Amino acid sequence: MKLYKKEGNIVQILSFPNETVEKGDYLLVEDADARKALIVQVIDVQFASIPGILEELLRSLPNGGELIQGEDFDPLEIAPHITYIQDATLLICKIRATVENESLSPNSSWLPSRSQSTIRKLPIPTLLKLAKVNEQLPIVLGGTKESSLLTIDASSLDGRLNIITGKKETGKSHLSKLLMLNLIGYKATVVVFDLNGEYLSLGMTADGKRNAHHDKIHVLTPSQNFRVALKQPNLHVLLGILIHALHLPGTSAREFRRIWQSLKERDMLNMRELGEAIRNWHCNQHVRDALFSRYYALANSGFFTDETAETMLLEERLFKAKEQGGAIIINLRNTSSIDRQIVVEYVLGKLVELLTSWKLKAVFLFAEEAHLYLRETYWDDIVTRMRHLGIYATFITNQPDTIRENIYRQADNIFLFNFTNEHDLEVVSRAARVDAETVKSIARDLPQHHCLALGKVVKDFPMVVKVKALDVKTMGETRLFFKGAC
Amino acid sequence: MDTTLPQRFIELSLYSLKTVQNQTFQLNQQTFQQTNSLELHPHDFQLKLKPILLKAKREETIVAAVDTSSMKIGETSTGILIAVRSATVWKQNKRYKYMRLGPFIFHITEENKREVYNTLQKAYFNSPQEHTYQGMPNLVQMPTRIANLLERWLQTMLSKTLSSSLILFDGSLTSGTGDTPTQLMKEILTIAKKRNNRILAFSKMTNLRVNGHLITEVLPLHEPPYLLETTGFKPKSPIVLLGEVYVAKLTQGNYAFRLDIDKEVSPEQKVEAVERLLANDLLLQSYPETLRLAHILCTFTANEVIAMQHFSARKHGLRIVNRPDMHRLLFGPFGRGESNS
Repeated sequence: MKLYKKEGNIVQILSFPNETVEKGDYLLVEDADARKALIVQVIDVQFASIPGILEELLRSLPNGGELIQGEDFDPLEIAPHITYIQDATLLICKIRATVENESLSPNSSWLPSRSQSTIRKLPIPTLLKLAKVNEQLPIVLGGTKESSLLTIDASSLDGRLNIITGKKETGKSHLSKLLMLNLIGYKATVVVFDLNGEYLSLGMTADGKRNAHHDKIHVLTPSQNFRVALKQPNLHVLLGILIHALHLPGTSAREFRRIWQSLKERDMLNMRELGEAIRNWHCNQHVRDALFSRYYALANSGFFTDETAETMLLEERLFKAKEQGGAIIINLRNTSSIDRQIVVEYVLGKLVELLTSWKLKAVFLFAEEAHLYLRETYWDDIVTRMRHLGIYATFITNQPDTIRENIYRQADNIFLFNFTNEHDLEVVSRAARVDAETVKSIARDLPQHHCLALGKVVKDFPMVVKVKALDVKTMGETRLFFKGAC
Repeated sequence: MDTTLPQRFIELSLYSLKTVQNQTFQLNQQTFQQTNSLELHPHDFQLKLKPILLKAKREETIVAAVDTSSMKIGETSTGILIAVRSATVWKQNKRYKYMRLGPFIFHITEENKREVYNTLQKAYFNSPQEHTYQGMPNLVQMPTRIANLLERWLQTMLSKTLSSSLILFDGSLTSGTGDTPTQLMKEILTIAKKRNNRILAFSKMTNLRVNGHLITEVLPLHEPPYLLETTGFKPKSPIVLLGEVYVAKLTQGNYAFRLDIDKEVSPEQKVEAVERLLANDLLLQSYPETLRLAHILCTFTANEVIAMQHFSARKHGLRIVNRPDMHRLLFGPFGRGESNS
């Protein structure tokens, strides 16, 4: 390989057919005299612009588009040299760092010698070592192309905002499960908003037996094993549900507050008494109607109950998870849009309450297709205020444009699966931790189950990894009409 | 088939390269254009403007053509590195086929040029016809000379192996030049005639003029295909013209070419040969496709030049250096470069 050109932080390297380099590979451009080396990553592989190549190709097809038949008597065997030159490739590489005295710096202000530099592939394990990617709490994401393991440190997810995105059926949920199980393995508390019931069987192996995580997976299905009594949430949480999920106007919300306090003072906070109180409350008829419609929405959700025996204390599960590590899976499958928002408002409100009072240390929140249940104002809340409280979110989506640009800008880690759509790539490329060229060029060619890890987990050295398989029962498979029919 | 000449080419190529191991060489992509500056345009030279009308003669005939290319691919401290390649193309059963020989790479120095050239000539002529040092082509002429030797040998082979076919030459049927002895050209034509082959020599460029105009530009307003006959062309000694010179306008468009056909063939046979060409080869811009393919296949592309330089560097340890271009060095942007001077 030979250094050809440098423009900005892009270097072009000429590579020959016997040197197998692919997109995503890292190269070390060493200048022995300068005692420095550049770490560059291949973001595109192009044909080298060889003079005369057009003539060469045209010459091979002169007979009306058919290959002209003939023999070549090439005694000096120059043909292999011609092929060698013709097949030369140009590697478009992004400068990632400079190595000097075995330490890395993001400096790309120097130029290695074009004639004297040596260029070689930089194995991922060596790069991880150079980048000092800690492995105190290792999470093996999977294998790299060189068959080495890509191990990240769980602490690089701690206190971070993560995004897992890619088009359908590329393995996003699989990766989120892998991260989640590893986190609970390190006694972390994880809450999952499971939109499609994909996480329900994480405690089971593929053949249906209990696995090591079985006792740490707590599945809560609203209206079934997850119901709450009206007195469990505090007024703030309930008002959140009424205002944000059920769009209760401000005037009505004020009346509700009075009704609530009245019932609380009389220790009569339950659904039946709430209904009676609204009926008998002295207020404007429109306000009453507004309160009644919300009351029925709450009652019909089946999430609230007056039967204390049926209530399930979210806190209990969270405290249990706090001790041993565990995941609370909020099963939102078969839940209507309004009910989903009620449940999510309740869970998030409860988490904030527990975290504020330091009853919980921190929670890793995994939210699949969060735009379907997370209200607009929560996005900013989660990435700013809630992060300080200890809610560390991981958003999983196949529609990257449903996550706002400012979320991408603040994301600490992005796990990017394949996208072919320009628009999708454009959205993801707005992330602050990576350049647009890398995202667009590498993500487009990622095979299934391969992801491009970006951000702090890989110390800002984008790396392609084939996500390792999990021995858990999969639940997220698409139901097929023709499956088994043939 | 006689393979003496290519064998000698290989031997000499390898031998000459051995002598240049581990030297440095200067790249040079200048190509040597074959020029024919020996043609004259005497006063009694005339072009008959009455066209000989042609009609495609549908008689299955093999059309074959030969072309060679030579190129200087670099310089060493003692000489030059040259590459030579030939292509023979023939059209048979409506399909074009080709046979390429080379590239052969030679390291030619003042010391070895005589040996190389004489050895090749000897292999070709089968008789000692050694040049004295004074009669030798200079280094700059060597690529063309060696390529011509190969071209003439291939033309001879085609004349010997084909029968009742059309053989297309690139250039004219003039002889008596350093690289085309009259005797040799006569032999080729005689062999061809014996085997009932017809040789048609197309010149891409000509200097022949009538009344100051190039013969290929003085064309009557008539529908092609046709030939225009010339008379009175007598080149000065030692140049000998072994063919009759025609202007061939074979298709619509602005192009016409000088066409030489063996003098010893009757006028009817000459016309018939061109008519068979019309029926058996594809003609675009008045030029036969077989000859065009031969040219295309033997021409060196820039990519191949790089490959040959790579070969020389890898196999023979030649180190590539860029010697400064004195024009550029002295005159900066006003220097056009030595190769263009």
